[in-house]
Amino acid sequence: MIRVQFFGQVREIANGNETEVADCPTVGSLLRLLSESFGHDFRPEALIIMVNGRHIAHTGFLETPLQAGDLVSIFPVIGGG
Amino acid sequence: MAEKMLMRVNLTTGAISREPLNEAWLKDFIGGRGYATKLIYEEVPANTDPLSPKNKLVLALGPLSGSNVPTGGRSMAVTKSPLTGCIACSNTGGQWGAEFSRTGNMFLVLEGRAETPVYLWVRDDKAEIRSAAFAWGMDTDAATDALLKDVGDERARVACIGPSGEKLSKIACIINEKGRAMGRSGVGAVMGSKNLKAVVVRGSGTWTAADPEGLKEALRVGMQKIKENGVTSQGLPAYGTPVLVNIVNAVGSYPYRNFQGGYMAEADKQSGETLAATLLTGKKACYACPIACGRATKVGDKEGEGPEYESLWSLGANCGVVELEPITLANYLCNELGMDTISAGGTISAAMELFEKGFLPVSDLEGGPELKFGSGEALKYWVDKMGRAEGKLGKLLAEGSARLCEAYGHPEFSITVKKQELPAYDPRGVQGIGLTYATSNRGACHVRGYMTSAEVLGIPEKLDPWATEGKPGWTKAFNDLTAAIDSSGMCLFTSFALSADDYAAFLKSGAGRIGSTEEMMKCGERIWNLERLFNLREGLDPLKDDTLPKRLLEEPLPEGASKGMVSQLPKMLPEYYQVRGWDERGIPTEAKLRELGLG
Repeated sequence: MIRVQFFGQVREIANGNETEVADCPTVGSLLRLLSESFGHDFRPEALIIMVNGRHIAHTGFLETPLQAGDLVSIFPVIGGG
Repeated sequence: MAEKMLMRVNLTTGAISREPLNEAWLKDFIGGRGYATKLIYEEVPANTDPLSPKNKLVLALGPLSGSNVPTGGRSMAVTKSPLTGCIACSNTGGQWGAEFSRTGNMFLVLEGRAETPVYLWVRDDKAEIRSAAFAWGMDTDAATDALLKDVGDERARVACIGPSGEKLSKIACIINEKGRAMGRSGVGAVMGSKNLKAVVVRGSGTWTAADPEGLKEALRVGMQKIKENGVTSQGLPAYGTPVLVNIVNAVGSYPYRNFQGGYMAEADKQSGETLAATLLTGKKACYACPIACGRATKVGDKEGEGPEYESLWSLGANCGVVELEPITLANYLCNELGMDTISAGGTISAAMELFEKGFLPVSDLEGGPELKFGSGEALKYWVDKMGRAEGKLGKLLAEGSARLCEAYGHPEFSITVKKQELPAYDPRGVQGIGLTYATSNRGACHVRGYMTSAEVLGIPEKLDPWATEGKPGWTKAFNDLTAAIDSSGMCLFTSFALSADDYAAFLKSGAGRIGSTEEMMKCGERIWNLERLFNLREGLDPLKDDTLPKRLLEEPLPEGASKGMVSQLPKMLPEYYQVRGWDERGIPTEAKLRELGLG
């Protein structure tokens, strides 16, 4: 299983803090699945997405491969300091 | 705009005067941080003891402070720091700056030392030095109420010190409106050393733009960007700065237990999301701020402001404390006692490591709770002792972690740069922010070049946090832009939405002295170099001082997403000196100083 954690306003969209999914080969396919499940467009440009703590910008973006045991973290765009 | 003035108060002689601003300095250094640094550089003799009457404390505004530009209400305290020996500039929001702007002054230069405790009551172009005997010893909440009563004007604004500043703690801050702080580098101790409890201000003037039509257009563009930006219109208003807890923890750079780790399994229990669902009672906005990141909170029957992300981490994860209640109460205590929350938490966490490793004997606790990581009880107790400088250990804690750890023979447990405690991003997992810490002109600091923005949050573009390539150039650009924004009187948080061009447009139309973005960035670079010159004059040794604690350079992160990493500062530092136009020893070259008009 792939564990997916939600943060910030994404928790409201996903009605919770996390979920688990099976058989999602890439981040792109995961986002499509989440969009269908929650009736909300999980647009990558409006999110910060990490796989095992690495931003997908550094791992292949939507083609980033996923496998069982991975932790995907999905944040809205945020800032602070 | 109406011509602002500089008010000068000599607390030794009681002399009060006003003088016109130096036009050339305004053009070269913008105002605020830049102008006040120039003044300190010129007027405070080399090697002055920061807590002596010879040091000066400048409360400064930017040319946009008090304007209708978004977040245009910032003020700052500039002086020689008793914590670092370097230049200090500690910047605050709230309402004090806008009120001071209404008095017709842009700078307040505080000199000398009063014989007995006093406060300054500034009303438009007049000022009066009054006895503060009734307020001395009070915490900042009580003092603010008592001072407002004494001036008989509830709409006045108070910036004051607490017991920490009175006791000359090197991590004391200046608090305005009870919950906002000119926080870092011990500026509150400088105020305390002058026997000055507070500066209370009330003005009746207005701010006018140099080019009202131009400003209208700049406002239209800027406000639109702030409204459309997800960070400034949604993330920060909803969750405040603690929204960062989970993302920084996710990348494995959320320092844990005095930087012994970079990941805390229970981080979500102290996140912005949890704070919003539990202790939050409302949002708070500073003057002219459309973002409203401030947190109004309540624990039991106690209400206050915060904690902000940095405070929450410092008093929380860095001390191993998980639950929000003790963290929030410790944050309130820091505000009441007038203490920098980052340094307070960094000092308690160092004491906890000293204690747990057997280097701080039980007898030194003098009956107080054991300094164990994770103990909310110990956190609150020792923050209180530190803020009051009470008892043997309380006095040592009030000196900050560098002097504390030195006293116990283990300086390696002080996680500081130039004796100032590190903020809330572990530079082993976010490489560029480590370069910022190592080279910041006021000691370890994240807001002297917030590389986390690009490395973690992807603003203005996503950089790989593990990479070192290109980071020196980015750091320099962030340094220079930040110096310009600080000097303008705006809040750095606008930079999540605005570009350098937007700030230049505000300065051009609002103040009329900056002609282009390039000119503004050159001012930022000039300010940065002047701060560096000040530090070098005061004895900064780049070889020894432009570095990070040994732990971060040698001990790999033990867990989390950045497990196994150390800071690669040595790979970045030489290139940073080069892009700055400094020599290999980190000293600005004559050519660079000539280029900037500092030669």
